[in-house]
Parts: sequence; structure tokens; C-alpha cells
Amino acid sequence: MLTIRNLSIKYNKKTILQGFNLELAHGEIFALLGDSGSGKSSALRFIAGLDEVHSGSIVLNGKSLSNNGQHQVSAENRDVGMVFQDYALFPHMSVEKNIAFGIHHLSKNKKNARIKELLLLVDLSGVEKKYPHQLSGGEQQRVALARALAPNPKLLLLDEPFSNLDQKHRENLANQVKDILKKTSTTAILVTHDEAEANKFSDRYGIIEQQQLKDKK
Amino acid sequence: MFISNASLIMQKYFNTKIWISVLALLIALPIFVVAFSWLLPEHELWAHFSENLLHNLIHSTVILLLGVGVGVTLLGTILAYLVVMVEFPGRKWLEWALFLPFAIPAYVLAFVYLGVFDYSGYAQVWMRETLGFSGFDIRSGSWAIILTFILVFYPYVYMMARASFKRQKINMIEASKLLGASPLKTFFQISFPLARPAVAAGLLVTLMEVLADFGVVGLFNYDTFTTAIYSAWGDYRSIEVAAQLASLLVLVAFFLIYFEKKARGQAKYYSTNVCNVKPYQASGIIAWLITLFVFGVFMLSFAMPMLQLLIWGWESIAQELSAKYFDLFLSTAILTFSAVAITIVIAIILALPRCKQDSFWLKNVIQLATLGYALPGSVMAVGLLYGINQISVINIYFGGTSLNHLIFGSIALLLLAYVSRFIAIAYNSIEASAQQIKPVLTQSARLLGASQTRLISSIYLPILTPGILAGGLLVAVDVMKELPATYLLRPFGWDTLAIQVYELSAEGLFERAAIPALIMVLFGSVLMLIFQVLDKKSSSNNIPLVNETECRHCR
Repeated sequence: MLTIRNLSIKYNKKTILQGFNLELAHGEIFALLGDSGSGKSSALRFIAGLDEVHSGSIVLNGKSLSNNGQHQVSAENRDVGMVFQDYALFPHMSVEKNIAFGIHHLSKNKKNARIKELLLLVDLSGVEKKYPHQLSGGEQQRVALARALAPNPKLLLLDEPFSNLDQKHRENLANQVKDILKKTSTTAILVTHDEAEANKFSDRYGIIEQQQLKDKK
Repeated sequence: MFISNASLIMQKYFNTKIWISVLALLIALPIFVVAFSWLLPEHELWAHFSENLLHNLIHSTVILLLGVGVGVTLLGTILAYLVVMVEFPGRKWLEWALFLPFAIPAYVLAFVYLGVFDYSGYAQVWMRETLGFSGFDIRSGSWAIILTFILVFYPYVYMMARASFKRQKINMIEASKLLGASPLKTFFQISFPLARPAVAAGLLVTLMEVLADFGVVGLFNYDTFTTAIYSAWGDYRSIEVAAQLASLLVLVAFFLIYFEKKARGQAKYYSTNVCNVKPYQASGIIAWLITLFVFGVFMLSFAMPMLQLLIWGWESIAQELSAKYFDLFLSTAILTFSAVAITIVIAIILALPRCKQDSFWLKNVIQLATLGYALPGSVMAVGLLYGINQISVINIYFGGTSLNHLIFGSIALLLLAYVSRFIAIAYNSIEASAQQIKPVLTQSARLLGASQTRLISSIYLPILTPGILAGGLLVAVDVMKELPATYLLRPFGWDTLAIQVYELSAEGLFERAAIPALIMVLFGSVLMLIFQVLDKKSSSNNIPLVNETECRHCR
């Protein structure tokens, strides 16, 4: 399903990650742990197609996305969704417009039905017309998730998506998101620095230590 | 004890309030005076103006504003987007080079284009001789003047849009990419809508500048309100009609100020971090085409006109540069220095007192006094001339003598016009510094035994100095190149470099006009360079040099 081979990342000629290999099955949730600067977010951005790296290849559903650190398929055409740490919601668009952004090619009826379905899924029905600044942090997070899921991505990347929330909301939301990903059979990679969260949220997790990925579960 | 202290404070507060109000109203005098011109209208001449000229004036002014508005919006926004969001060869230095047209006064660029593209200019002579082209009249229609204004004023939109694009979160662009949006879709649906208030603010400042312009429209023989004001006074000798026309201009300017303030209010920054990562990498032929386009704008708006000025200057230096330049330089320097000194002193008086923060009246009166930045110099001049004229009439009525000799040249009147026009720049700079003087600073200094003198020398002055210097430099640059007020109010024998440039180029003596123009550009650039150094120093100390939300001169 997802195969990452020999991923190496260097900053200013200093190696921060090397020989990173990962295989994920369809619908599997993987969590990637590591300290700040360990390269976990850089790895995620390479998988998303946003940044290129020293070396590494990515194959998703049999299609080669990147090879030797260079992208063969651009970020726009990879079918990879991402939830950012600060959500990156478009502040000038309402919730429904944010969610509709990636499914503009659908007919109006299909688009509306999909928005409704996703809002129901993330338990946010009734906020369609609201703007991001009118929502709480947790609600914004769920809108960001709905927006990323809208185009049915083959892979979903989550870059420390719960780090802006307090402990109580964090746990609740992590459980809810996990349920949603399982319901939709979405393959996902979560980047976090909280081992307990990684353990709870994922089917399997690994930690980056001394520039290497080590399997923990 | 408590009551006597309170009344002392009240008295002090009351006096300060009166002083500030008197000063602010004096500065705003030209605006009031032109508004009052409708109380004593000159019916016959106004009827002639409104029947025969007003329609054309409105038509040509609207065409000009529309053409320039569309042009600067497109050019300024596209350039800002390219330098902020796309990586292409030469981007780093072009990003800064695109600010350089600010160093050239609009009328200097206009005369260079006229000199090159006029019927007898190099370009048309070459086209006639080599291509057999019959030629064109650059002054007919409005396309040439619109293009000139676009090249002069695009940096306003560029500056505002660039700042806005830089503060957009890179994550939003990346989220858009990951949702499958093309660069064009991301531009139209994410980047531009977020930058729209900033673009609008830049556009409105440009429209104010176009409306205020006297030099470019004068050189192109293009009729707008500013030329009509001059004509009413210069040709028809009617200060009343000039004032009535000026009041219409004030009305339009007020609309523009209102919308500009509204736009600036909405131009929220979405991130405090300036984004230095370029979301798009242009490659191959596309990258070079982008470089060519941006470089082309830089060449047309700055490099080629400067080169042409240098060539003309070299050709005419022996003939043109004479002892009279010492006088021109001296009068420009005296006027500039005096205007800066007076403006700074008044700006300190207006900016410093804390009591203004609690007074609705003082806040508004100061706002009124600082509106001059949006008004043409001609309005300031006409307001003052009309005011003196009316005082004369009253004086004669009560058996006194005419004061009209003041109209024909008084440095005091010219300096008051400068102060009215440019006080906002100095006020915004000093106000930005004054905001750093928190009450707690004064209180701690006093508790540590500081006397009033020591408080001023050790606390107030060091904190205010960057603002005073910055305000002074910016006012100096603007006074040096000011044209319409100087043209109307200068005393006999007080020609400035700006007047010399305008008069020589109006007669088609472009080569000779290059010398005073180059001196102006050189001094303007040196002053701006000092400003940039100060600005950099202040940024590193985390102290704003100018109030960015208010001052359009923070370039």
C-alpha cells in the first residue's frame, strides 16, 4: 500500500535521518515519534510532496510518487491529505467552503452531500456557515480533518495535530479522530512527540533515535 | 491638598488641550478655508467653469484614476506575488530593486519619458528613420500619462501587497496544494483574497497621489482638478473659484481617506512570522520569463530613466551647471531645513501629551490636522491664499490695509503649507516612538530621583530620537521634491530644484532639466538610505520607526 525506502534527510550537510524504511497496509495508522529536530516533520513533508530530500523513494498503491529524494508527482496530484499543527484553515472562507475547497470538481449536489456527510462524521453539523475564528480549537481541528478527508485521500498525514489543545480535549479528540480514520479505512501517519498518544492512537508506532527509525509496537 | 492638586492638574490639562487644539486647527486651516469658499462664491466665473470645463475635468480625472488604478493593482500585486511566493533567478535583488522608483519624483520620470518618446525624442526619430513609422503624439489621449503614473506609483501597491503576502501562513498555501489546487487557483482563492485589503490600501494611496499630482499632468498637458485650480488662480486670477475647485478635490480625497482607513483596518496579518520559504519553484523557460518580466519593470521604472538622466546630465553639465545652482540648492536647503524643523517641533507637541489619549476632542482635532497628507499641495496653497485674501477684505472693511502683498510671496505662508501637507509623516514617526514612553518608565525614573531635566535628557529624548530622525528625513525628502505648493506660494527669487526641473522640462529643455533632477534624486536617495539604516537598527531593537498602520511613507 505505502512503501518508503531508504529515506535520508540532511540539513547543512549534517545527516539527521538515514535509512528510513516503512511499509503500511491499507487502513493502517502509524505514529512517528521523535524529539524536536529529529526529522519526523521533514519526513512527513517529503511524503506530502512539499519538500525534497537527500534520498528516498515513495510508492503509494503501486504508483511511484518520489524517487531518489525527488518528486515525480507534485503535491497537488498525489492524493495525499494533511492536517497541519495549526490547522491552516482558510480564514476568509466559511467551514463549508473550507471543506469544499478540495472537491470543487464535484457537482453542487454531490459537493453538498459530501460536506454534510463529513460534518456528521466529525460531529460538527450546523457550523457550515461559521468562519474559523468563530470556532474553538477542537472544532477547528475537526474542520481541518474534514477538509483533508473530503477528497478521499489515499494517505492522510497528521503533523502534531493535537499539540495546540489541552490534555482533556487532546485525549477526547485523538480518540474521535482514530474512530473516524478507522470508519473511513484511511491509511494515516501521525507525527507526535507524546509516546502515550502514539501508543493509543496508532496500530503501530516507531521512534526516531540516533538518526534511525526504530519500531516500538 | 487633594483638591488643589487636582485643580492644578485640571488647569495644566486644560492649557495643554487649548494649545494642542490651536496648533492642530492652524495646521488644518487650509482645509477649512476651501470649504468656506462656498459661502462667498464667485457666481459668474464658477458658472463658466462648471458649464465649460467641469464636465471634461471630471471625465479626464475619472479616466486617469481608473486607468492608473487598474494598472497599479495588476502590476503591484503580480510583482509582489512573484517575489514572495515564487523562486526565480535574480529574485533576491529584484525584490529590493523594485522599491527604487520611490527615489524618483513622478514629474522627473514623466519628463524623461517625454524626452525619449516625444515627437523629436530618440525613440520616435529612430522609428521614423528606420521603420518608416509616421509617429504619434504622446500627449494625445490618456494612455501615455496612465502608463507613466503606473510605473511611478506601482511601488505603493507592491509594498503593501508584498508585506501582506509575506505574512500569509505558508501552511495555508501548502494545504491548498495538497487539496489539489493549481498555483493559479491558490492565488485567486487564497493568497489574493487574504491580501485584498492591503492591495486596496496601496491602491487608494496611489489614487490620492494621482489626484494630488501637478507636475506629471502639467508636463503632459492633461487637464485634471489640480491643473484647473492653477488655471483659475494663474489665468483667471480668481482665488474664489480656485478654492471652490479645491474643495471638490478635498471631498474626493476624504472619500479616499475613509476607504483607505477601512481597508487598512481589515488588512490583518495572519501570521507574525515573515515567510521566507517560497512555496513555488519556477524552473526552465518559465523561470527566465518571470525574471525577464520583473527585470523589465525595474528597467522601465528606474534603471533606464536614471541612465537617460545621466546621459543628458553629462551632455549638458558644462552649459547648465553654473553659480545659479548654488542659489537653487541654498533656497531648497533653507526651505527644507526650516520646514523639517517646524514640522518636527509641532509634531512633538502634538504627539507627546498623554492627555490626548483620553480626549475625544483632541484625538479628532489631531486626526483633522494630519489629513493633509492626502490632500494636494495645490489645495494647501489655495486654502492659504484664499484665507489671506479674506482677512485682507475684512481688514480693509475695518479701515486697515490690504494684506495681499503676502499672497505674492511669503516664506511663512509656504512653510505653513509644507507643515499642513507633511505633518502626518512627522507625527506618525514621533507618535510611534512616543508610545514607547510608558508611564511606568517615567514613574521609575522619578522614584530613582530623576529631575524634570534629567527625565527629558535621559528618558524622553533618547526614546524619541529615532522617531524624530525618521520623521525629519521623510519630511525632508517630500519637501525637497514638493511642486504645486512651492509653485504657487514661493516668494520671488526662491526657486527650488523642483521648480527648476519643472520649468525646464515644461519648455522641453529635457537635457538641462536632468542636472537639477539628478541632484534631487541623489539627495533623496542619500536621505532614504539613512532612513533605511535607522529603520534596520530600530527593527533589531524591536522599536518601530514609523507607525506602519498609519504612515504610507514607511518605504
